[in-house]
Amino acid sequence: MVIGLSLLTISCQKVINVDLNSTSPAIVIVGNINDQPGPYTVTLNQTVNFSDPNSFPPVSGAFVTIADNTGNKDTLTEVSPGTYHTKKLQGVIGHSYYLTVTANGLTYTASSTMPQLVPFDTLRVYTLTNPFKTKDTVQFPQAGFKDPAAGNNYYRFIETRNDTLLSRIFVLDDQYSSGLFINYTLRSDTSLAIGDSVKVEMQCIDKGTYQYLSTFYVASGGTTEVTPANPVSTISNNALGYFSAHTSRYRSIKVPNQ
Amino acid sequence: MVAQAQQKYTISGTIKDSGSGEELIGVTVEVKELPGVGEAANNYGFYSITLNEGNYTILYNYLGYKTDSIKISLHHNIKHNVNLTSSGSALEEVNVSAAKANANVTSAQTGMVQLDVKAISKIPVFFGEKDVLKTVELIPGVVSAGDGGNGFYVRGGAADQNLILLDEATVYNAYHLLGFFSVFNSDALKDVTLYKSGMPVEYGGRLSSVEDVRMNDGNDQSYHVSGGIGLISSRLNFEGPIKKGKGSFLVSGRRTYADLFLKLSSNSSLRNSSLYFYDLNAKGNYTLGENDRIYLSGYFGKDALGIDNVFGINWGNATATLRWNHIFGPKLFSNTSLIFSNYNYNVDINIASIDLGIQSTIRDWNLKEEFQYYPNSKNKIIFGFSSTYHTIIPGNIVSLDSNVKNTNIQTRYAWENAVFASDEFKVSDRLKFMAGVRLTSFSLLGPGTFYTYNSQGNIADSAKYSSGQFVKTYINPEPRFNATYMLNESSSIKASYDRNVQNMHLLSNSTSANPTNLWIPSSNNVQPEIADQVSLGYYKNFLDNKYEFSVETYYKVMQNQIDYKDGAQLELNENVESELLFGHGKAYGAEFFLKRKYGKLTGWLGYTLSKTELQIPGINNDAWYPATQDITNAVDVVAIYELNERWTFSATFIYNTGYPVTFPSGKYEVDGNVLYYYTSRNGYRMPAYDRMDVGATYKCKKHKHYQADWSFSIYNVYDRWNAYTITFQQNPNNPQETQALLTSLFGIIPSISYDFKF
Repeated sequence: MVIGLSLLTISCQKVINVDLNSTSPAIVIVGNINDQPGPYTVTLNQTVNFSDPNSFPPVSGAFVTIADNTGNKDTLTEVSPGTYHTKKLQGVIGHSYYLTVTANGLTYTASSTMPQLVPFDTLRVYTLTNPFKTKDTVQFPQAGFKDPAAGNNYYRFIETRNDTLLSRIFVLDDQYSSGLFINYTLRSDTSLAIGDSVKVEMQCIDKGTYQYLSTFYVASGGTTEVTPANPVSTISNNALGYFSAHTSRYRSIKVPNQ
Repeated sequence: MVAQAQQKYTISGTIKDSGSGEELIGVTVEVKELPGVGEAANNYGFYSITLNEGNYTILYNYLGYKTDSIKISLHHNIKHNVNLTSSGSALEEVNVSAAKANANVTSAQTGMVQLDVKAISKIPVFFGEKDVLKTVELIPGVVSAGDGGNGFYVRGGAADQNLILLDEATVYNAYHLLGFFSVFNSDALKDVTLYKSGMPVEYGGRLSSVEDVRMNDGNDQSYHVSGGIGLISSRLNFEGPIKKGKGSFLVSGRRTYADLFLKLSSNSSLRNSSLYFYDLNAKGNYTLGENDRIYLSGYFGKDALGIDNVFGINWGNATATLRWNHIFGPKLFSNTSLIFSNYNYNVDINIASIDLGIQSTIRDWNLKEEFQYYPNSKNKIIFGFSSTYHTIIPGNIVSLDSNVKNTNIQTRYAWENAVFASDEFKVSDRLKFMAGVRLTSFSLLGPGTFYTYNSQGNIADSAKYSSGQFVKTYINPEPRFNATYMLNESSSIKASYDRNVQNMHLLSNSTSANPTNLWIPSSNNVQPEIADQVSLGYYKNFLDNKYEFSVETYYKVMQNQIDYKDGAQLELNENVESELLFGHGKAYGAEFFLKRKYGKLTGWLGYTLSKTELQIPGINNDAWYPATQDITNAVDVVAIYELNERWTFSATFIYNTGYPVTFPSGKYEVDGNVLYYYTSRNGYRMPAYDRMDVGATYKCKKHKHYQADWSFSIYNVYDRWNAYTITFQQNPNNPQETQALLTSLFGIIPSISYDFKF
């Protein structure tokens, strides 16, 4: 940010060809369990070469199980290529969950513990002045909740706008806000418009999931401030992706006329 | 017949410029009747030569000045101060000078380059500004950290491994405006000396180099005003005597006004933005008596970058040095210094729902004592001590934001001490050694709570210490050794071994340092970095010292090198030490250097071939990977052509292999986002960097009390789009496709400036 603006006035950009190596595909595992009724989903995909089109092959026929720390174990069924659902497992706050994936002869494991619930108190539309265009105002959803003073808490928010899921990752921790009532604005690239219906899911996530999601944008290649790297995965054997056990609470609003 | 031991006597004194009273650094003092006997005067112009009693002719020789000589009858100690007259002829001025015509060949010093500050004014850098550190980057073995990069690399060392001193005060961030200019206003400078290897024992604390920058003292004969007006900055310099011949002062200031161009923007936020820096250098000195002189010098500078009033960052250095030179006798010189250095930055954020200020500071108090003892013509002994108290405030957050609490990351305190001693001795006419050691101790002190971490990076243990308690101490001896063997009058080979230890570490997770990067001390978790370097070189002058040629090779092994876990959070993190990974590195290379020192055309050619790599468990699957500073080939060409009394033309050309960079080898999707897949650290290279700058200076007709010149320059003459960064994005016209985007900072930039002197 520091560099960005001051040099906007004189720097130039152009698209170039970069000769990038291809590499054997790596597996991408994404698994989520929450405290709402199941089934819960694990998806398996693969990486492709940089120059390939953005269509990512699913990994079929893998053996996927999730167990918890009270002796329950569920073997997931593949409901569509690369998508696996649990049959009977129920997510419980405070329990730990263990994912095992065996695919193409390799085994990957991960674990996640569902944190205590922090209630989702309020959701409202927040208006702010776009700092770079003083006449414009922009509006975003703003979530309000009280962070517990004890312990470290990590949160993720997912926004669905007019039935479309936004891919933007919203995560925060309570490092500087422990014990305070937090108003968190879900700022994305597009402002809310009048009449939009917004549904926001508030998740209380564990530390490993937070570390993964907070290093997400480093891997998106758009920033030059830090050395690019894969996000910090909690899955073994160099698998990409994450496995998260979290609480989920939902709130919806409709953007009113001014 | 009883042989009588010959009585020895000493001639000593101080050497100055006759016009300005400035002490001259490194003047060569020789004895005509005894070739091979001689000394270089020290940083304060002091010299001392001890000889058997007899009659001699002493010669004082310094490039750019008329040689002076005196016939003496040495039957008792003689005190003889010297005033050298500048030779004045522009054709004899050189770009990179050695104190004596062949001192580069004879000195017991590898890897040392002394820059003539006056001549730097002829080399244009960016926007027509003359800049000392940018000129240092044109020396083989030194590479810029890139356009907009906040530092430079010496022999493969990281940007924080350079000890940059201004009148002995450590400068923590030597760059303005994101790396385009250094903090050094060359109007105020007398001398810049760079050590790439064989660092003398008086210096310590950084692994790879020393840049010893010394300010002018001020003209002690008459008052002068000088300055310059340029396209983006202006400077003003005022100096004169406090008491003629006894004391003088100097005040130099500089400010940019690049933000004036922002006012022309159609965007109102840019109009309300600011982008400037200023510098102020001040110095005073006074001669208290025959043998005593005191100096007080200071620097204050600040950079400010503000975007409307939603975001502002400012940072700056302040340094002050109080020095006392005392001459104990003809053979013993002492310099006592009390030094203060402070670097801080402030960030103000006031965007919508975020309203807070972040502040960070590093502050040093240093007491230093150095003795120089010249017992006889074969030995020069240096000894002394240095004690520094560091205070590091890594981050204080002041919040007007209900979502964020006021937070203070714990302040850290450290005490760094060194004792040092060395002897430079002549074994014979051909062979000269320098042997010495610097013994350093570094202690991390309380008050505070100190943590240890487990392998996952979580806190394993914590311990509380009270004020002044020792948390962890490291003691390290640093041997330094140089040898010079003269093959003949004009050529020599030199070898050196030195160990350097570094206890202050700059954490920087980006490809170039930022002004907001954090310095941390060695601690219970972070061990001192250690570098051992051996260097071997061959030096030859020819055509009566008109050309200097050297080839230097080096091999450096570095321990306890620091890198970061993927995605490490380095800012405002109390547990930043848990994000660090440690390993070792090695760097080796060869530097070729050819200088032409006299004549209408002067300048130099440099070529460096080198490699730097690191091996750090946890990175790149524990395999060796190229360091960011690994620049395989580097070419520097500097040419200055004096057409006549009025016109001088100059050109510089730089070529570097691109620096190593981490690019993706594939891509994948998570939660609707396309992410890039990285398999190796620094497995690719940026495109090569090359650039040519040209300049011309026109000297206006000289009036009795007034002199002026116009400078024209063109930066990046052939408008090459050197890569500043390469990033990746989905093609906005085709979301199925991923493309690479190159950002370049500067195309061709012409510039004009006007310099004057009263």
